[in-house]
Amino acid sequence: MSADAVTEGTAASTDVFLQKPLEDAVPIRVRDLRKSYGALEAVKGVSFAVRKGEIFGLIGPDGAGKSSIFQILGGVMQPSDGEASILGRTPRDARSMIGYLTQTFSLYQDLSVAENLRYVGELRLLSKEEIRERSAHYLRMFDMDRFADRLAGRLSGGMKQKLALACALIAEPKVLLLDEPTTGVDPVSRREFWDALIPLAARGMTILVATPYLDEAERCHRIALIHEGRIHATGTPAELRHSLGLERLEVRANDLARAEELLRKARGIEDVQRFGDRLDVLVRDVAQGERSVRETLKDLNVTELHLREPTLENAFVATLRELEGDVSLSPFPRARQTGMPKRNTTAISARSLSKRFGDFQAVKGVDLEVRYGEIYGLLGANGAGKTTTIKMLCGLLEPSGGTVTLAGERDLRSSSVRQRIGYMSQKFSLYDDLTIEENLDFFAGVYGVPRREREEKKRWVLSFSGLEGRERQLTGSLPGGWKQRVAFGASIMHEPEVLFLDEPTSGVDPLARRALWRMINDLADYGVAILVTTHYLEEAEQCNRLGLMVAGYMVAQGSPSDLKTAQRGTLIELITDEPQLAMKILRDEMERWRVSLFGDRLHVVVDEDEDTAIKKLADRLKRNGIDVVRAYREPFSLEDVFIQTVERARREGKVAPED
Amino acid sequence: MRKTLQDFTNQRLWALFMKELQQIRRNRRLVISLIVPPTLLVFLFGFALNPQVRNLRLGVVDDSHTPESRELVSAFFESGVFQVESYYTSSDALSRALDAGDLDAGLIVPSNFAKRLARGEAVDVQLFVDAVDSNKATIAGGYASRIIAALSDRLTQASPLTVSIKRAQPPRARSAVPRVALFYNPGLRSDWFIIPGMLGVLLILNGSLVAAATMVREKEAGTVEQLLMTPAESLEIITAKIAPLFLLLSLDIWLVLSIGYFVFGIPVRGSLLLLFATGLLCTLAGIGIGTLIATFTKTQQQAQLMGFFVNPPLSLLSGAMTPVEAMPQWLRPLTNLNPVRHFAIIARSIMFKGVGFETLYPHIFALLGITLVLISFSVWRFRKQL
Repeated sequence: MSADAVTEGTAASTDVFLQKPLEDAVPIRVRDLRKSYGALEAVKGVSFAVRKGEIFGLIGPDGAGKSSIFQILGGVMQPSDGEASILGRTPRDARSMIGYLTQTFSLYQDLSVAENLRYVGELRLLSKEEIRERSAHYLRMFDMDRFADRLAGRLSGGMKQKLALACALIAEPKVLLLDEPTTGVDPVSRREFWDALIPLAARGMTILVATPYLDEAERCHRIALIHEGRIHATGTPAELRHSLGLERLEVRANDLARAEELLRKARGIEDVQRFGDRLDVLVRDVAQGERSVRETLKDLNVTELHLREPTLENAFVATLRELEGDVSLSPFPRARQTGMPKRNTTAISARSLSKRFGDFQAVKGVDLEVRYGEIYGLLGANGAGKTTTIKMLCGLLEPSGGTVTLAGERDLRSSSVRQRIGYMSQKFSLYDDLTIEENLDFFAGVYGVPRREREEKKRWVLSFSGLEGRERQLTGSLPGGWKQRVAFGASIMHEPEVLFLDEPTSGVDPLARRALWRMINDLADYGVAILVTTHYLEEAEQCNRLGLMVAGYMVAQGSPSDLKTAQRGTLIELITDEPQLAMKILRDEMERWRVSLFGDRLHVVVDEDEDTAIKKLADRLKRNGIDVVRAYREPFSLEDVFIQTVERARREGKVAPED
Repeated sequence: MRKTLQDFTNQRLWALFMKELQQIRRNRRLVISLIVPPTLLVFLFGFALNPQVRNLRLGVVDDSHTPESRELVSAFFESGVFQVESYYTSSDALSRALDAGDLDAGLIVPSNFAKRLARGEAVDVQLFVDAVDSNKATIAGGYASRIIAALSDRLTQASPLTVSIKRAQPPRARSAVPRVALFYNPGLRSDWFIIPGMLGVLLILNGSLVAAATMVREKEAGTVEQLLMTPAESLEIITAKIAPLFLLLSLDIWLVLSIGYFVFGIPVRGSLLLLFATGLLCTLAGIGIGTLIATFTKTQQQAQLMGFFVNPPLSLLSGAMTPVEAMPQWLRPLTNLNPVRHFAIIARSIMFKGVGFETLYPHIFALLGITLVLISFSVWRFRKQL
């Protein structure tokens, strides 16, 4: 697939090129862009173009070069070579027409929503009248007009993001540059934010957005997969999914670890990856693939086998694998003298756990159990009490009520318990001012890893994180994703029985993420109990069991498949000729959360059965002059589960509504 | 107990200790702050706070009119510091001239000067100093006492000759004239007076700032959580943090003493070992203050700001740079709680008088007590927060 995807647009769009000045139809053009920092080349000849009214996603892990591209397009930095133009001008000259949102928003927390907007407007020398009109307009558009007087600091994560977006929009830019706008934001807030972006694009705003997360990529019109400074594929999400010419089989069988191992060697199977309670098997030919799977796993009793569309993750991994080969995973050097605790016995248990901070009840009577050999995912929106819960489970925080047992002991602060657990927090696991080797030496020493094992274990961590020969480098100079891998390695060197992982793969590239999860699975197979917190649903898919937290309550627990099948109602995917309008019409008569837009496809959750619902929806849209091109039932994604569960909790009064 | 001791000496502590050392080594700012400020401050205070006070205009009221009193006046004159401007018949006339700014100092020799001296009784000579320039006044007072002391040595071994120095204030503030009596003052040069005092100030200042920054750094970076999840005991963590700092800061003692010796020619007449040991106590007190600051702050910046709030009173109210006698009466007892005060006395006495433990033990024990209280309180607070 060509990187310069504009040239392969449809005939209609080519006509548009001829009729209008190019810069109007294609506001963002990047050609052979390069950026070097000293000897390090961060961007290695990137070309792409974004059409007017398009949401274009740059998808890639930390350190892929996304931020450099954004800084060049934002006019903040000069490229080393190549061209970048916005509306036919250099980015610096086009600055007044660019709205630029970075990962950290510059909102004033102690100003109200309206005051924030007024301040930005006044900076841009807008008249009072314009500021008032535009503020009102965007607040209405983002469904925030009730909060004009609320302090920005007291908004929820998604609302803050939308306010930042409104601030960027108040000068009426023609191009929006969004550099990882939703990093660290929970699914509910992320959906809210994307729901705000889509109507903007529909009105002709050109949007370039960077994200490391593939579930967000699904919402873009077109995406480019970027890795180590190069774009490897460009196209619509559907095109990329199918570009592989592969099909995906979801396989459930009795011993998944064994099944994975067998299938990896089987003929006719392109790729195997374990996701919690299932295997994703990529095959070129469905019939032959299915036969091969059944054949290979005949002793393991295949309980389910479904044909599904490949995911973007599959596509990205396959693309990268072609380029650099799979991450080879050398076996972890185990030297454990004492035996592991018995599988399926309780490793972590919490009974009616609660925590109160002053007047605020952060955790409300949570029951939870994680067994040895299990990967348990703790999911929740920002402020749902996840972090507080995990801190109480590992003894960093004293609970206000309830009991915790960790590795069979009640005294969580004792040295002997902590010797048996591993802990990796999201951001701060390593010392930035030490070299990689010094960090590893420190953790090996402080956990008392015997000296004779240390060298081998250190070598393993370095090879696992792909940093062989770079052990003298300062840890602070590593991109986030690499640091995560070292931190993970450092946290398992002492062979813990219980492992706490706080968002272990945020910012890690897909291949490395795969290696990481393979290792996590390997640990679980060995009998380690693993507790993972995350608000990224790709990660949640990998867990054996999930616990979903909302506003301090544990509202649902079960395997990813259990949670999906337990959902009430049916998910209908609609493809219409006017998705924007269709969404507006349906939202007018249904609850907001039931309708959402993914690129050009509408997801609608209905309570009726498939046929009745499709007929009703089609009729409803027909009356407004919208034709439904295709409509079919889709299985719920974990994101759907998450959002519905939060909604249900809200209806039951567990969560106070936003106002 | 045996088990804890074993735990304590194991590789865990070693790993923590190495980590701290490596972090300090990378922290160029910290290394610089251990060397540059002490050197600069010692030079600055040693040279700059040593103004050449010469040819002060002295007015004399000699009520004694004896050879002894004339010898006293000429001793002032011969010192080169004072220049006899004129004689007055009454102290009133003298103080009028002082008020008018015609004089820098006034000397009143009582009528019974020679008689009491001959009888071997204490004699009180009054010296008025124009205190508008208080620094000059202090130094002039110092010279005067030295001159009188030298003279008293020569005239009689038996009777102490004392001088009471009155600081003449600007006319409007006259009601607040403090009465300062200076006795034996060995510091005939102000750099000799300043540098041993500076040593204490520097140990506390550097100790507290560096310790506060180090202790709070991990809290600020968020790595403390990861550290707490390791089997390391909180006492091990603190010990590993304090030990390298203690070692490094102790080098500052040698740094300042070397500058004192080689640049200013200040000798150490007493026991170097005792001086170093008490210096270590002072360093530990500084680390205690720093650790305490760290328990009240969340970021290095806050810690530094708080350090700047705590340190000036500690150094100003210590007698290290200005005499304690110059402070208001009610404040003086409080200075006994100040570790710098005790160390300044200890350092001066060891360096100039050559006295040892047998004389200095009250101050040494006071310093030890203050240090123990500071360090245990701060460690207790720090542990509680871990």
